[in-house]
Amino acid sequence: MAAILTLLAGTFYGLIIGLIPSAGATTGLVALFGFISYFSFDPYLGVIFCMAVVASSTTGDTYAGILLGIPGANSAAATMVDGYPLAQQGRATEALTAAITTSTINGLFWGTLTFALLPQYAKLIMYFGIPELWAFILLSLACVGFVSNRFWFRSIIAICVGIFIGLIGIDPETNIDRFTFGWDYLGDGVQLMPLVAGLFAFPEIIAGWRRGNSIATIGEETHTHQTWEGIKAVWKYKWDALRGGAIGAFVGFLPGLGGAMGDWMSYGATVASHPEEEFGNGNMRGVVGPEGSNNAQKATSMIPTVLFGIPGASFAAVLLGLFAYLGFELGTQEIAADIKFFDSLTFGFMWATVITGILCVAFNKQIAKITYVPYIYYFPFLVGFIIWACVQYTGGWQDYAILGITTCLGLFMKKYKFSRPALLMAFILAMKIEALSLQMWFIYSVDTLVTRPLFLGIMSVVIMLLVFSIVKRSKLEYA
Amino acid sequence: MKNIIMAAALSACIATSALAETFTFVVPQKPGSGTTVWTEIVLKELARFMPGHTLKLRNFPGARDIPAVNAFQNELRFDNTIIMVSHGGNGVSFLQENVDYNYADWESIGMMNLNIIVGKRLDADLENIVFASKSGRVPDAMGMALLLCGKLDSIAEYTTCFKSKVNWVPGFGNGGDRRLAFKRGELTVDRENPAAYKKHIAPNGDAEVWFHHGILQADGTHADDVNYPGLQMEILYEQKWGEAPSGPMYDAYVLVKSFRDAMQKAFWVNAGNPNAEVLQKALLEMSKDPQAIKAIQKKVGKYEWVLGEAGNARRDVLMSFVTEDALRDLVTFSNDALNIKAVYKESIVNPDAILTVVEDVAEEETLVQRISNWFKKLTK
Repeated sequence: MAAILTLLAGTFYGLIIGLIPSAGATTGLVALFGFISYFSFDPYLGVIFCMAVVASSTTGDTYAGILLGIPGANSAAATMVDGYPLAQQGRATEALTAAITTSTINGLFWGTLTFALLPQYAKLIMYFGIPELWAFILLSLACVGFVSNRFWFRSIIAICVGIFIGLIGIDPETNIDRFTFGWDYLGDGVQLMPLVAGLFAFPEIIAGWRRGNSIATIGEETHTHQTWEGIKAVWKYKWDALRGGAIGAFVGFLPGLGGAMGDWMSYGATVASHPEEEFGNGNMRGVVGPEGSNNAQKATSMIPTVLFGIPGASFAAVLLGLFAYLGFELGTQEIAADIKFFDSLTFGFMWATVITGILCVAFNKQIAKITYVPYIYYFPFLVGFIIWACVQYTGGWQDYAILGITTCLGLFMKKYKFSRPALLMAFILAMKIEALSLQMWFIYSVDTLVTRPLFLGIMSVVIMLLVFSIVKRSKLEYA
Repeated sequence: MKNIIMAAALSACIATSALAETFTFVVPQKPGSGTTVWTEIVLKELARFMPGHTLKLRNFPGARDIPAVNAFQNELRFDNTIIMVSHGGNGVSFLQENVDYNYADWESIGMMNLNIIVGKRLDADLENIVFASKSGRVPDAMGMALLLCGKLDSIAEYTTCFKSKVNWVPGFGNGGDRRLAFKRGELTVDRENPAAYKKHIAPNGDAEVWFHHGILQADGTHADDVNYPGLQMEILYEQKWGEAPSGPMYDAYVLVKSFRDAMQKAFWVNAGNPNAEVLQKALLEMSKDPQAIKAIQKKVGKYEWVLGEAGNARRDVLMSFVTEDALRDLVTFSNDALNIKAVYKESIVNPDAILTVVEDVAEEETLVQRISNWFKKLTK
């Protein structure tokens, strides 16, 4: 019973966060830091809640993208390209229904594949020794820095800054403070929560504030008819939906990509598959394609996150921190053997996907009204809530100072298109990079490394990605 | 009659509220950490034996878990409602780092005394051990050095011998990455507390117990662990080298292993705290309650509780191990063999020297303090 109530609470919370323009799964999870410790009496309920938030916010963010032309999160940006023109043409319900149905079906399909087989993937851990994990981390940084952003040099700078911030704290070798500049507060390192809030939440909230309000409405007469048309559209464009799902699932599996990357790749693939059709002016394929990707990507992102402790996407990086608060250390042998943990992940994600899908299709018109609320009404609550969550670490002025610094950094990076996901990823992985580098240095030699084919294979891909990004630039500019 | 009952009830309410306290248990780590989880589990049971009182947990994380314990020593302990929750790592830091705190100034409410088990892979080459480094593993490294090298004349000789036989690998955390590396065979020796050993190493068919450190007794000696009989370091040493371990290295080893293992988890208040008796009584009652102990053991394992005055006595026994030679040798081995930046603190051996250390630290002005002072001048 407690699990069901937690599931429902997480689903509604995630749905509401998803509906808020510019919020999305990452912001919703960031805000959880303030009260995640309340789940310490039963951490598995915390897992259910978090996964319900991930699933429902991913579906919910479609509303703002299609109705207002504002992505609920970056993952809805690709959907917006054709979804918003459809809404302007009076086909909002049709577009919303198609998007939600596609998202739900792909979420369930790839969620089933991911969560049912996740314990089996755990055996992969034994094949990933220290060198392979080290190379895999480099691959994730290469993906997020070189593929999802065309400014590869700025990405390298972002990665370096992220690693630097991540190394603030204690030198694990000498056990003494480093990069703390004499500030004792930094002795335990920069906390994830204010960094994520500063890098992502506040810049997006401020951007939403500046954009102001733009309101779309769903017509009374056409609503029921369009709901059915939207469902039929998914069947009609099923191959676009499945292709999008497959691309999203693959991107989610590769650590460090996710989010916008999977959606834009799916959108790009949909466009490329139909060269005779026009996109950008309200093509239903342009909604179904990227929407197939987002929930599938969220599901498969959990594979590297859970098995290797390497976040599959920005939201997963926050999830990693939340799970650590609950006492679950991802990427470990214990987690791989914790059946109840896997059950909680599956229960939370799958049922939240189902509930959200049904709710959204059935109450499209009513739910959409939330997006009509002027920004000024929820802006103060959202800001207050996030600040409150950020200052739970010590409650002192230092928490506010760090939040201010990271927000300035986030605004600067957004404006000048430095990759914020790359910085976050590097920050989270910095200690791991250092630790694995030390371990590799002390245990392995060049002679033993060249006998490991998996290590050599991953390193080859990393080098190819770097060369690709320099020679043939990615078109994506997401920062 | 009605009025009398109401008056009695009102008096009872007033009396209860006058006695009721909110006790804050300060944990030096983040939410979700091992000590936090342990404290949450214990407080949940302890609350039943302190009716009318509120028990609150406060996380006070910081570098190497030291800031909270320093704050307790310097400020928090003077609040009679604050209880410090310390762990074994604080004991090792106390011996060889520039910390402010001193267990001698505190009063024990209760502590858990436990052992650490060192396991090795069946295929481990004991002349070429690969072991994860950490400051809390100093006793394990010293135990290995004694077992592998036998009786040597100096710490320098032990350092050379240790370095030739043990690859002390940095970079590992306290949890999964190390356990996984051991299972994959990248590390050949690992160690755990008894509960974690049962969970993580015992089921591994490729591993076995190498040695354990023994369990500290009230008289200051270490007894064999009945769960792993005959595998105490001292017993194995005598079997291998034909005599009981002794000498400077052994004294330093006994010092550091005792401070780490005997106070693995402990509740403290300031010496003379008037609430100490209430807390000790509640913990004693809890420890006698089968339901409470079953609930705790289910989650944290079967560990020995040392309560109240017995805890103070145990602390005093530990302090008696601190001699100038043992402490100097510990610091030397930590620095030279283990690359840990340890410092010799005369203040532990000679309490009069405490002021000198504090004054030295106070003279250093940090960058933040300089900026703060500059800002103050500017605003004036």
